[in-house]
Amino acid sequence: MPEGGLTISEDKNTLTLEMKDVAVVDQPKWPALDSIATPARMTFKMVWKSTGESVKYEDAAKHFRFTGTRATCQMEAEVAVPSIGFSWKSDPLETSKCAFAIIGEEVNGRYYDS
Amino acid sequence: MAQKVWQLPVGSPRKSQTDLTALLKPISLRESPMVTHTRRDMLKAGALAAIPLVLPSTMNAFPEQQPMTANGGDEPYPIPWLDKNGSHNQPAGPNLEPSHIYHFKGRVARCSTFTGMGTDNKGNRIAFGSPTTDYGVMLGEYWAARTTQRGTFTHI
Repeated sequence: MPEGGLTISEDKNTLTLEMKDVAVVDQPKWPALDSIATPARMTFKMVWKSTGESVKYEDAAKHFRFTGTRATCQMEAEVAVPSIGFSWKSDPLETSKCAFAIIGEEVNGRYYDS
Repeated sequence: MAQKVWQLPVGSPRKSQTDLTALLKPISLRESPMVTHTRRDMLKAGALAAIPLVLPSTMNAFPEQQPMTANGGDEPYPIPWLDKNGSHNQPAGPNLEPSHIYHFKGRVARCSTFTGMGTDNKGNRIAFGSPTTDYGVMLGEYWAARTTQRGTFTHI
């Protein structure tokens, strides 16, 4: 990820991810194996904010432990698919919402037991 | 001048090592059915034998190559069991591992199932978001190439 794309507030309760003109693919039928992928560009901004509600997810068999909080997350974005003359822009960030979001610390793999 | 070589006659009876030398007889080099090298052949072979000595100086003509290790790449390992679609990720959700990187220690933020609206370049109002509209950020330390690495990664 480019430097400066991610900012974290001093209290670590807010994360802002912002990237401009990222090369992506437009693949409407994903995950179908025959899904056509068309080159596209995307500019977006996402903001996670902790709700303060603690969560801990751990699975010893899979060697991971996540400790953090639930969060809200909102985003605004612009996408363009030049080859088909399509572009789209979302409404302002404050108008979006997501059903699930978390912020926290995780250890997995070789770090799980340490 | 004819050179002499020693040859063991074919079909000679087995003898002890002491007796074996008695069976050897001198023969002319030109008479030997197996050895047909001439002085010209030897000169040609000598020229070919010099090639390996020439090659190193030719290879030094290439730009300097940095010393390499063989510890694998420094890119992060994917989560081993997250390969349902061959893309090493899963939607964010309760009790699901948030990171996409294995051998990872650091800060993670994940989200999924967005809902929102937008407008395309023809003025059509188009909604966005689905259960697979998930994003993630991983910032911290991971293990690759047999040492610790640091990085910031996003899944969009």
